[in-house]
Amino acid sequence: MTNSRSLTRRLILGLGGATLLVWISVPTIAALRLSKVVDDLSDDLLKLTAVFMEPALIDEGKVDSDYIRVPGYTPSFEKYWTVRYSVEVNPRPSPGTPALDGFSQTATDRIYTLKMPDGRILRVAEPLDLRRQSIKNGAALVLVPILVLLPFSIAVWWMVIRRSLAPIKVLQQEIGSRDGCNLSPVGVIDLPAELAPIAASVDRLLERLRTALDRERECAANSAHELRTPIAGSLAQMQRLVAELPQGSAKTRARGIEKALSSLGSRVEKLLQLARAESEIGVAVHAIDLVRAVRLEIEDLGKKPQYAGRLILDVDGCPSLMRKVDVDAFAILLRNLIENALIHGLPGTPATVSVRTEGSIAIANAGPVVPLPDLEEITKRFRRGATGAAGSGLGLHIASMVIKRIGGSLELASPARGRDDGFEAIIRIPP
Amino acid sequence: MRILLIEDDETLGSAVREHTVADGHAADWVKDLSEARDYASVVAYELTLLDIHLPDGNGIDYVREMRKRLDSTPVIILTARDQISDRIEGLNAGADDYLLKPFDLGELSARIYAVARRHGHFPEPIYSLGTLAIQSAERRLYRHGQAVYLTAREWAVLDCLLRRPGTVVSKRKIEDALYSFGSEIESNTVEVYVSRLRKKIGGDVIATVRGLGYRLVVT
Repeated sequence: MTNSRSLTRRLILGLGGATLLVWISVPTIAALRLSKVVDDLSDDLLKLTAVFMEPALIDEGKVDSDYIRVPGYTPSFEKYWTVRYSVEVNPRPSPGTPALDGFSQTATDRIYTLKMPDGRILRVAEPLDLRRQSIKNGAALVLVPILVLLPFSIAVWWMVIRRSLAPIKVLQQEIGSRDGCNLSPVGVIDLPAELAPIAASVDRLLERLRTALDRERECAANSAHELRTPIAGSLAQMQRLVAELPQGSAKTRARGIEKALSSLGSRVEKLLQLARAESEIGVAVHAIDLVRAVRLEIEDLGKKPQYAGRLILDVDGCPSLMRKVDVDAFAILLRNLIENALIHGLPGTPATVSVRTEGSIAIANAGPVVPLPDLEEITKRFRRGATGAAGSGLGLHIASMVIKRIGGSLELASPARGRDDGFEAIIRIPP
Repeated sequence: MRILLIEDDETLGSAVREHTVADGHAADWVKDLSEARDYASVVAYELTLLDIHLPDGNGIDYVREMRKRLDSTPVIILTARDQISDRIEGLNAGADDYLLKPFDLGELSARIYAVARRHGHFPEPIYSLGTLAIQSAERRLYRHGQAVYLTAREWAVLDCLLRRPGTVVSKRKIEDALYSFGSEIESNTVEVYVSRLRKKIGGDVIATVRGLGYRLVVT
């Protein structure tokens, strides 16, 4: 309702305004019409009064009745009062009162003048205040109920419009809550006929999107299986061959192939991660404990002989950190940053992973300082700093892509905070 | 240890089997879950190496099935499924470890020993027995400070005895540890390997309990 483009607001303002205009116009027109009717009726009555009074005046002495009283009769100037009318016989001419037959009006009275056969003039006057009062009373009869009913009507409009538009709001909330991580059908039942096709279309679209994403995930899983398994078989066979071959050139060559296969495995892993980072991974519906994911990754990496004993986890004061992120996306992000620290850190020195309550996770390693221009470039694809260590040049690029999808930030610092050397990657994920 | 390897990929399966046998374990290699169920129903394995993508089902379901029937045999999942959610699913199902393909065979050995140690199948990494210092994980044995070379099968016999030092281990148990399915078993094979071991580590270290089996002499 706060949105000026809200349909409910527009409907209430538009319909309310139009109805209000109609309701104001109706009594106004009625009042004008009433004024005309009252004037006509009053004129007719004024004329009738004069016409019926005329014989009474001719037949003198019969004018005194319940309706016409003669307080003091003088032939030259007589004034008769009725309940409503003032009657003058032989009035004195005055500048504001035309002495003609028929109707005329002064500032205060409506007058009907009748010329009697004996030459006398009968003038019947009605105070205009009486007419105005009649019109006011009539108009009030129409207007007062409208004014009384108006606030109640506005409240009823409001309720009816809100109630009628409630399904739109429900549908809006249902569709609004859908994103890359919640693709369940809208499933809003009892929608009006106008909205049901929209919900059905959205459901069909979500279904297609869900199917597409499932296929993409399945494709990624199948690709992983199809690529990793033959490499694993070849590497294992080559390692068996290395173990069985006697020392010599054949063994040296076999070791070279083993190393190449191992490197191929790492590259396949990075390319699969890159494919995932470029796809749908990111936020999630439910919060996960990032500390648990950090522990799992550290435990897994720590089991690798080349990284054994080189990882330190610092979760001082932060036993858990709940965030709505996709656990696989977060694991890809974290693994790349930790592997980066281990590969490019000084050999034999530890890499520290620190988790803090405000939602930051910092991965720091010892090593030479990375110049600022390099620091700004190393998150680009296949861009590497001045390092001789083995690496694909994709790790930080993947990490920077994933952190964007998660909705967090990645800060790279060199030297690492609180020391003179090294490198530190700090990720911040808002609640 | 007697290991059941469930892996449908021929190239990888044969290499892993060879490697585990070279490490001194008895390994039976099957290529689907149905065969695995058959093998597990007749042999008490001490560890299972399990792939997830199998022709007749999902390895995770096999682990759940094992845990449901209170089978506590340690399981290491060997898989190409590289997402942490897959790993969490596998560990939550009851697997003891999760190794991603491609892996280094040396790392596989280390993980087998780590899991086996957690389940009490191996003694501490360095075990002292009289004049002997034994490092099972690294396959090293020192007698009077001098390195002694043991073959894979000799290690298999020693591992069997080291699992319960001082208690009698049946000849049948040692035979199970020595041979995988398909290998021929001679009636005196266990005696031959025990004899070879005695020559290398000392005759008084392994005692024969007539009619029952053998035991390590713990002083």
